[in-house]
Amino acid sequence: MLNYIFKRMLSAIPFMFMVSLTVFILIQLPPGDFVDSYAAAAASSGETISPEKMADLRHQFGLDRHILIQYFYWIGGIVTGNFGYSFEWQSPVKDLVGERIGLTLILSVAAMLFTWALALPIGVYSAVKRYSIGDYFFTFVGFIGLAVPNFLLALVMMFIASKYYNQDVTGLFSPEFQSADWSLARVYDLMHHLWIPMIIMGAASSAGLIRILRANLIDQLYMPYVVTARSKGLSEVKLLIKYPVRIALNPFVSSIGWILPNLVSGAVIISIVLNLPTVGPMLYQSLMSQDIYLSGTILLVVCLLTVVGTLLSDILLVILDPRIRLEQ
Amino acid sequence: MRLIPSRLAVAVAAVAVVAVPSLALAYNQAPMLANNKALPPVDQRLPAKPQVIKPLDRVGQYGGTLRTAMRSNNDHNAILRVIGNQSLVRWGVDGFNKIEPNLAESWTISPDATSYTFKLRQGAKWSDGTPFTADDILFSMNDVLANKGFLSAVPADFQPGGTPVVVTKTDDYTVVFKFAKPYLPFLEKLATPVDQYPTLFQKKYCSQFHPKYNANVADLIKQNNAKDWGQLFRNFCGDIEIPARWGNPSKPVMDPWVIKEPYTGSATKVVLERNPYFWQVDTAGNQLPYIDRVQFQLISEVETILLAAINGQLDYQQRHISGITNRPVLSENMARGGYKLLPSAGINANQAGLWLNHSTSNAKLQKLIRNKDFRIALSHAIDRREINDIVYLGQSQPWQSGPHKASKFYNEKLATQYLALDIKKANEMLDKLGLKMGSDGFRQYPEGGRVSLGMIVMISNAALMETSELLRKHFSKIGVELVINSSERSLFYDRANTNQYDISLDVFSGGLDPTMNPRPWLAIHATESRMSLPWVKYYLTDGKQGEKPSPSMLKRLDLFDKWQVAKTEAEADGLFKQILEEAANEFEVIGTVMPAPNTGVINKRIVNTPAIMPDGWTWPTPGPSLVQQWSFVK
Repeated sequence: MLNYIFKRMLSAIPFMFMVSLTVFILIQLPPGDFVDSYAAAAASSGETISPEKMADLRHQFGLDRHILIQYFYWIGGIVTGNFGYSFEWQSPVKDLVGERIGLTLILSVAAMLFTWALALPIGVYSAVKRYSIGDYFFTFVGFIGLAVPNFLLALVMMFIASKYYNQDVTGLFSPEFQSADWSLARVYDLMHHLWIPMIIMGAASSAGLIRILRANLIDQLYMPYVVTARSKGLSEVKLLIKYPVRIALNPFVSSIGWILPNLVSGAVIISIVLNLPTVGPMLYQSLMSQDIYLSGTILLVVCLLTVVGTLLSDILLVILDPRIRLEQ
Repeated sequence: MRLIPSRLAVAVAAVAVVAVPSLALAYNQAPMLANNKALPPVDQRLPAKPQVIKPLDRVGQYGGTLRTAMRSNNDHNAILRVIGNQSLVRWGVDGFNKIEPNLAESWTISPDATSYTFKLRQGAKWSDGTPFTADDILFSMNDVLANKGFLSAVPADFQPGGTPVVVTKTDDYTVVFKFAKPYLPFLEKLATPVDQYPTLFQKKYCSQFHPKYNANVADLIKQNNAKDWGQLFRNFCGDIEIPARWGNPSKPVMDPWVIKEPYTGSATKVVLERNPYFWQVDTAGNQLPYIDRVQFQLISEVETILLAAINGQLDYQQRHISGITNRPVLSENMARGGYKLLPSAGINANQAGLWLNHSTSNAKLQKLIRNKDFRIALSHAIDRREINDIVYLGQSQPWQSGPHKASKFYNEKLATQYLALDIKKANEMLDKLGLKMGSDGFRQYPEGGRVSLGMIVMISNAALMETSELLRKHFSKIGVELVINSSERSLFYDRANTNQYDISLDVFSGGLDPTMNPRPWLAIHATESRMSLPWVKYYLTDGKQGEKPSPSMLKRLDLFDKWQVAKTEAEADGLFKQILEEAANEFEVIGTVMPAPNTGVINKRIVNTPAIMPDGWTWPTPGPSLVQQWSFVK
């Protein structure tokens, strides 16, 4: 097992290198560079930046040099733990991303737990009580959850909260806690705000998972081994949990690796609508403004987390499903 | 007998000596500072002669937090605009017509307009209590600005004609700016936010990041993962237009408010608190500012800012929501949001101007565009009333490219010629040019081919997009095809800079500040003078590159060169008026309507705000209206 993990880690290194090169080139493909978009943003507020100033900024940021030199400057820094400076913020990328990644992880884990807590029991129920009133009801709700875009749900919830409860549901903290140090009160405040993005983000993915679990479980429920177990007199609950559900869980576990990239890239719109201080909006902004070191680093980190996540889910799969072997 | 008067004199003198401190004791401070034991008394914090500001309506009351909003990225200038640029001089509260003393108490200009001597406000202090002296200015100008490690070249405004300014001090409170050539516009430039450099950096604090003053700066660079000292310096002391300017609470400033909760990548709000050492008082001797705190809420969506404004969650907001399209929703919700409307006058000469490209690569069309009759015909075909009614809610008025009436450079011809809608006349003129109407409803060149103009326009500007559709309709009535190439901003500039356009629909600058932004009449701006960028190149490279401009433009550029080195205001103004007159005769670019008044919101309880102010960047709204004398009343 350890040998396997080590091999996987080793093979990740050239992969990450390829990813970093691709990412860096892709980010720079759109016309113009950071200085252009900086000038454009200034111009949209009626502010002007002189051509000399633009040339000076390009020189300052090293944008006047060849793209490969820029790349090696960046990647060389990363190897020594220096992720470069964000052009826009003029501060180290490490600090910028570090501040947000913690909250992003908390939010993604919360959303994942919510998804599972919702999808598991409902999925099992729907499969076992197939074509019952309850199954139809959850199927109906599930399809709505799948069809309605998350950000629309967020907007509706924002509207309801502000119209009927006069409450501001955006952000992850109340104003007084926004820049406070961590304390019990602040954690409590976070819990208070966390549930809305948690529900919104969890809604669509639970709907999807319910459908998958239901389908998988129905496949398993009529397998001969289930019939055999039942004829041997195994109790219905024990039978269900120990065999078919365990196998039907495979899609849950194998999706662990995708949760993080999904939250960073897939939930960007929700994060912007709800004004969440997560990595998503920062990635979006930095891509829009071609802040190459910032967006490049975020994409690289997301990629790394995906690699680690996939490895984790593979290991979990081995534990969960004895049919899967490590050896080829 | 003689003794008595002399005793009297001594007594009078003694009273005078006593009277000065007792006068000084009359200064009042905000209640939030009264209990701060760490601070010296208010009269020791203020200069001996603080600048007295006459409040716009009345003497205000202390207290309150000014809540406003900005976008969460690329929006750092929102802070600068509210806090204001505390430079040596400043704009008058009502606009561009007057320059007032600020950190400089007074100044003299040499008769040849090459040398400016500024008397600094003695005893004015930085927000950490350190006196503000000539050394700070010398440090900023000579050690930072003139150093290649900070900027690759001294900004153009500080090196007119290519020779950098020489800054010296005659004593601790007198500095001399010496230029190689006469430089009359200098004071106006100093009042703009981009030229605040002389008063931007405190020597005591910022010199620790400068290699000349700190031998161990290399260690600091390493500790902060910076590339060089310039980056390190910017990280801690900021620069004019970067977020880091608002990211360091320990950096001393001369501003009315200082950073408490900094503007960083993860910030969700930015808070500034009153500067206890601020060097202005009101007419009743109250130290300014009146308002305790300024708070910027960081919001990623512009629509959310609008929502917050109409909900009354913001005490002041103009930025991002002041466009004409928001006016109905803002006026509808006035009572609910507890605000009043804060109008501002758009500073541009024209809101939707047609920059005809006199150097378009299409040879047949270029000949046509360079024909004044063709331009006049196009102008007569535009239904400006329809544009005003549909796009600008009837709030604007037809206008060509000239400065507004409020400007001393107003030129009736440049502003109002050929405005009338006259399709018949336009068609006649085009007929005379030999452009025959084809069977498809479009005119043909004499040598064949449809008369078709490609117009580039930015998608982000909804009003311009609507205007372009109307223009297409208007031009089709005279048989001229308009092909709209809309794109997002960077592609727009890409097309413009590579000369791939026949018309660029964009604003004309210079409505209220014509001398500062003379781009519609002079081919001088490398990306914005879009009547011909090759002409600009010719001018900027002294004829080595680009394309030789038209005789009329050459004449104007020559006048402009003379204007730049004029020695007296009368001479300068005379030259500039000639430039405008020549531009009016040539009629190079076509205007549609002037900017409609913009609308912001301000809390009903705030007094001392101007009835109307310019909405500009050179006059960074609302800063020069002196936000420090805005006040909440109960």
